Amino acid sequence: MSLHEAVAGDLPLGAPTLDLHEIQATVLRPRPAPYFGTHLLFRIDDAQAGRAFLRRLTPHVDSAAGWWSAKTPWLDVGISYAGLKALGLSDDSLQSFPEAFRQGMAARARQLGDTGVNDPKNWDQPYGKGEVHIGVSAFSDSAENRRRILGIAREQFEGFAGVSVLAMQDFGAQPGDRNPLGYKDGIDQPAIEGSGVDPLPGQGQPIKPGEFILGYPGEAGFPLPMPQPDILGRNGTYVGFRKYQSRVGAFNRFLHSHGSNEAERELLAAKLVGRWRSGAPLVLAPEVDDPSLGADLQRNNDFNYANDPRGRQAPFGCHIRRMNPRDSKLTRLTDVNLHRLIRRGTTYGPPYDPNALSEADDEVPRGAIFLFISAKAMATIEFLQQEWINDGNFIGIGDERDPIIGLHEEGAAFTIPKDPVRRLVRGIETFNVLRGGEYFFIPSISGLNWLANLGGK
Amino acid sequence: MEEQVQKNAAPEQNPIVKQKIQRLRELYADAPELGKVALEKGIPDLAREFAAATTAVQNAGRIGARQGKVSELTGILPIAKGGAKRLRGLLQLLEGNFRGADKVGTLHDMRFVFLDNDTKLLFATAYDGEWDAYIDDFVTKIPNSLDLLFCNIEGWPGIHSPTIKEWLVQHQVAAEAWYVAHPNLTVAETRRLENVGKAVADFLDKVG
Repeated sequence: MSLHEAVAGDLPLGAPTLDLHEIQATVLRPRPAPYFGTHLLFRIDDAQAGRAFLRRLTPHVDSAAGWWSAKTPWLDVGISYAGLKALGLSDDSLQSFPEAFRQGMAARARQLGDTGVNDPKNWDQPYGKGEVHIGVSAFSDSAENRRRILGIAREQFEGFAGVSVLAMQDFGAQPGDRNPLGYKDGIDQPAIEGSGVDPLPGQGQPIKPGEFILGYPGEAGFPLPMPQPDILGRNGTYVGFRKYQSRVGAFNRFLHSHGSNEAERELLAAKLVGRWRSGAPLVLAPEVDDPSLGADLQRNNDFNYANDPRGRQAPFGCHIRRMNPRDSKLTRLTDVNLHRLIRRGTTYGPPYDPNALSEADDEVPRGAIFLFISAKAMATIEFLQQEWINDGNFIGIGDERDPIIGLHEEGAAFTIPKDPVRRLVRGIETFNVLRGGEYFFIPSISGLNWLANLGGK
Repeated sequence: MEEQVQKNAAPEQNPIVKQKIQRLRELYADAPELGKVALEKGIPDLAREFAAATTAVQNAGRIGARQGKVSELTGILPIAKGGAKRLRGLLQLLEGNFRGADKVGTLHDMRFVFLDNDTKLLFATAYDGEWDAYIDDFVTKIPNSLDLLFCNIEGWPGIHSPTIKEWLVQHQVAAEAWYVAHPNLTVAETRRLENVGKAVADFLDKVG
């Protein structure tokens, strides 16, 4: 009997209701606005100690029950393949994880197109060396709550032998909830069927939960293969953790060399993303920014590209049209719902400064760590990197790449469709450089408990 | 640059080229006489190919060759009982109309050849990129077309099977050599250039 048959037999194939008490909160809960948090990366030096650490941590890991409220701070826990090994998981179980997860993000650099400046050999410590075993993220809505939740996390590892802290990275929303390049982001998230909340206008038909959480039917009608045993896999998912350094000086120099005044620069900045910095989408506000639209959750994502088939408002190559082409005409047979990710962008470093123009500004540690969550995160991130980020063929613009998160060679350009002739803006650079990445499995609460108690105490 | 010029000037003097020619002479030592003659006559041309050879062919994902953006997929598939009659009938009735393939947007061509007394099917195609990337999209978008064709193959697990990628890889045979005239022209890019060509012609008609 195949894995698929074994799993499909006992699942309702109608409209499953998610087991919210089992799924970790971060999977479904958006970051609060504003948000304050910390990522902690650990190495397990001893299997028994690693499991004891998980036993201490798990009671403080929040589930997605009531995920729509983000008032109380929460912790999440992800475990890399190296981490599962270090915890003493059996070979059979280890082998039941997908190949790309077992290899790890650094080893998949070819498939991810992480080459040149983004090559794992240029990454920050401790990424890509198989040393990061456990990732813990603390999210909260205030500095005070961060201190509280971080205090709880610290109590579980401080003075605890056998587990080492490799990195601690604070993150938080900048004034106005902006990202390192000055944009409001994280607006468009996939709606998930059975998650208990009506989709926001523009989110479209909810996507089958199996695309995002293991153990439920996906868009093709059946669940994806799950890691074994069942208690470990079910209600779990994966996260692709990617740390970017924003070259704010290079980005500003690019805007300045193509826009002689602020209005021109802001329009160009909006064309690159498909939204004004306020979050207002270009297809709803094509000429001038509309900050009240950008701030309105009921309206800021409520659009499609039916009235912009030629990219006159949102260029085909802009960031948001790539990451979710919605109803855009694509050159290849594509099911857009299969390539979505739940995104938790977490910004670190000083706020965006429109006057930062120097090369030194490119090296100021600031950027974003993205958590890309999906039941097939590895395959989806590879697809996005190959097809939608570092290529333009899928939407009919040849070799052009994503102007915000693409990896660019010298002389790269961005096409702004326009009448009577298009405007070609040269000088696109790699504005966000990859500085690290790891894949983590995010077990369910039961899965965490099971792992924590592997082989008895 | 200088090296390039040198190579072009006297490819037969290039030590790597010399080595390759030597190797070829060894391989053809037991060839029929006309083969040996052809080799000697062809050496200047072959030397130029050898001199130019930077590895033009890459890997197309798990298996298969790729040149530029165009990849090859060759499969030799065992035909199920009664499958040859059904599949041949289906292909004949279609008379070469494959709008489903148009919809896929990455297929340059496809060929279906019945081998060994209708017991095997040679399926060969040239396509853009890596096929794994879009296999899930086929599953949700055109499951019927694929099941209709491939149900005639022994052991076809069905397009909805989670093992579909492994099954396809198992039946794939990597090409030893792969030549593409326009390695950077994808199907989408070809269509775009076709439209540009038409638009230019229309414009010239109007002004001319």
